[in-house]
Amino acid sequence: MQRVRKVCWTLHREIGFLVVGLTIVYAVSGIAVNHAHHWDANYERVAEPLAIEPVGAGPTAEVEPLVLERLGLRRDQVKTTWRASPEVLQVFQESGGYEVNLVTGQAVHRLARPRPVLFDLNFMHLNNGKGPWTVVADVYAGLLIVLALTGPLLVRGRKGLAGRGGVMMGLGVVLPIIYAVVMRLAR
Amino acid sequence: MRFLASLVLASTLLAGAALAGDGPALTGKSLKTYGKGVAASDTVRVSALLANPDKWVGKTIRVQGKAVGVCEHRGCWINLASDVEGQTLRVKVTDGEIVFPPEILGDMVTAEGVWTANKLDMETTKMVCEAEAKKSGKKFNADEVTSCMTTYQLTGTGAVAAKN
Repeated sequence: MQRVRKVCWTLHREIGFLVVGLTIVYAVSGIAVNHAHHWDANYERVAEPLAIEPVGAGPTAEVEPLVLERLGLRRDQVKTTWRASPEVLQVFQESGGYEVNLVTGQAVHRLARPRPVLFDLNFMHLNNGKGPWTVVADVYAGLLIVLALTGPLLVRGRKGLAGRGGVMMGLGVVLPIIYAVVMRLAR
Repeated sequence: MRFLASLVLASTLLAGAALAGDGPALTGKSLKTYGKGVAASDTVRVSALLANPDKWVGKTIRVQGKAVGVCEHRGCWINLASDVEGQTLRVKVTDGEIVFPPEILGDMVTAEGVWTANKLDMETTKMVCEAEAKKSGKKFNADEVTSCMTTYQLTGTGAVAAKN
């Protein structure tokens, strides 16, 4: 048992150091995406109303250059445009664009900028890139399992599995089980 | 020995990062692939598809158009512009499996998937009509809705976006 405990100590310590960075990535992003219904965890979105002199609902080929001119945009600043309806022209740019009512001149300038750092953390956490990161994420998950299995064996006595540690571990195991049962019954 | 063990663990993680994967493969400087990409050889014109939508239900097809709308919450759908002004087609993908970013707006997108019809019940039909009326600033009268609506969408398996 002494030898097993020693191996556990070594594994727990070495893996513990190794996964610090990844754990912070997954934990911070976890909080962010848990609240996806409260905010956009990936993009900072801005919608600014503005008005231009109306150009009228004429043919797209005629009104489009006028709209760009009145918005102060050069052609090379625009990806493309789309006549969404007889009254509305959408102008698309790299990180946003405009929605212009041709008849009233009312417009909305929309921007969607990736949130610094958080965008990248969420990209890794949600594995949006797939491919190589899938391997990293799988290995990390495996290492977390090793940490979970070796942790309870590190301490002996009252603070270990036979005492307070065991109670704490029991709580951590029972909590998700209770939640799963309640959710199934509620369905 | 312990240091060696740590190195082995660290290199396992790094090796993962170096492995080639099945993720978005950029086949060109300005192309970005989502999901399984596209494989079908013929592209169906959006206007032709929407003119006779029932004909294509259940078939795997490929469509092309400018991305003019994108799901702001989960990036789980995009609207593609038709070759007819004002007409759009929705490409819906499984949440989390493919994520369309806001930057896709304005890009020329080729998408592939199964053309799907969703027959709505009366309650949902009225909700959709009310939302559309609200969006276009028109008055909505629920009593005027007398028949159920069928909506169509491409249940997408992959797409390729080209920067304009």
